[in-house]
Amino acid sequence: MNNFLKKNLSIIVYIFIPIIFLWHPNWLGFLGVQPYWPLFWLLPWSMIHGSINGIIFGLFLGLILDSLTVDNSFTQIPGLILCGFLFGRIKFHSDILVGHFRYGLICSFGSFICGTLYFLQILFKNFSDSNFLLFIPTFKNILAEVFLTGFFSPFFCSQFSRMFKFSRRKL
Amino acid sequence: MLEIPRISTSRWWHKKKIWVLFGIFLFLIFARISKGSIYKDFYYFISKPFWPGQFQKDVILKSIDQESFIKLNLLEKDNIRLRKILSLQESSNNDNISAAVISRKTGSWWRQIILNKGSRDGVEIGSIVKGPGGLLGRVNNTSLFTSSVTLITSPESKLGVWVDRIQINGLLVGLGDDSPSLILFSKDADIKVGDFISSSPASTLLTPNIPIGIVQSIDEPHKAKKIAKISLLAKPHVIDWVQILKVKI
Repeated sequence: MNNFLKKNLSIIVYIFIPIIFLWHPNWLGFLGVQPYWPLFWLLPWSMIHGSINGIIFGLFLGLILDSLTVDNSFTQIPGLILCGFLFGRIKFHSDILVGHFRYGLICSFGSFICGTLYFLQILFKNFSDSNFLLFIPTFKNILAEVFLTGFFSPFFCSQFSRMFKFSRRKL
Repeated sequence: MLEIPRISTSRWWHKKKIWVLFGIFLFLIFARISKGSIYKDFYYFISKPFWPGQFQKDVILKSIDQESFIKLNLLEKDNIRLRKILSLQESSNNDNISAAVISRKTGSWWRQIILNKGSRDGVEIGSIVKGPGGLLGRVNNTSLFTSSVTLITSPESKLGVWVDRIQINGLLVGLGDDSPSLILFSKDADIKVGDFISSSPASTLLTPNIPIGIVQSIDEPHKAKKIAKISLLAKPHVIDWVQILKVKI
């Protein structure tokens, strides 16, 4: 049982992403916005397993998260696939402290990409309507999400990368 | 060494009665020092039902409540009857389903709540979800045990609404923040801050006269449109229980 847990730690954590996405703990939020949870898992996974795995699991994450949201017209898949690919190209840094800050910056950038791609879909769909109305809440949402994701990622990503490396070594 | 046997083991502090008396004494000392506050507070509670003003106020308030309730019922019946005559869309209280909010996403892009009642309980896609205050959104999809609701603040939400004071229809568009926008397709519409917004009688998605919100601010007219920010009456980020209403179209 213990061995099974160790071997499949990354998958077990993966299962928890939709749960925390649904749970939406308000006390962790800022301006009502949450950090973009899937990136905390996707970054260490892609860094360890490479771009192809990053793309595949980015797609899987996008599919799961899209099934949980009621917005049928918009999807999170493009952002997560792009992030999975980009994160796969990044290598671990030898300095632990610098590595921590790198996680923050990379996740902030990933969150910005995902937020922007999502917003572009909304903008494209509402092209005929008054678009300018969307801009102010959009900036607020994207900036709050980028800030929170960057703020929490050093903690989550370093823990996850350690756990995933450990479970991989056991395999 | 010579031991002297004890004649009796009884001492004054072994008597329970003395301790009881000592307790009463202490209580009385406390009552004295506190100027009888315990008695007064006790009296406050036992005399409360007999206070003339309070009692009278309660009776009057209860009567007013009853009167309002009866009036409301009569008006609802009247409304249903008239709607039937005019062949308009109607809703009845018998179709209400109470549900608890089990997941809430009220920030960022995704503005939705998940309820603990699903298709098994008779929830249908398109049903209206109301909370304390008024309209929250519409059921977007259902599973066996749960139903997902798109809130009216979601960028996907577009609803026909009615501005009662100036008797005009408008479009309520969610923008992904807490205050949706009301678009009036008339540059000269005399909308003012504080105007009340309800669901439109002309809407095919909603039953009429569901309270939605109040005009919070009005933007400058833009291309023959007037746009206003709406403050919602029902607050989705704090509501735990909602009512699901079936729509008869």
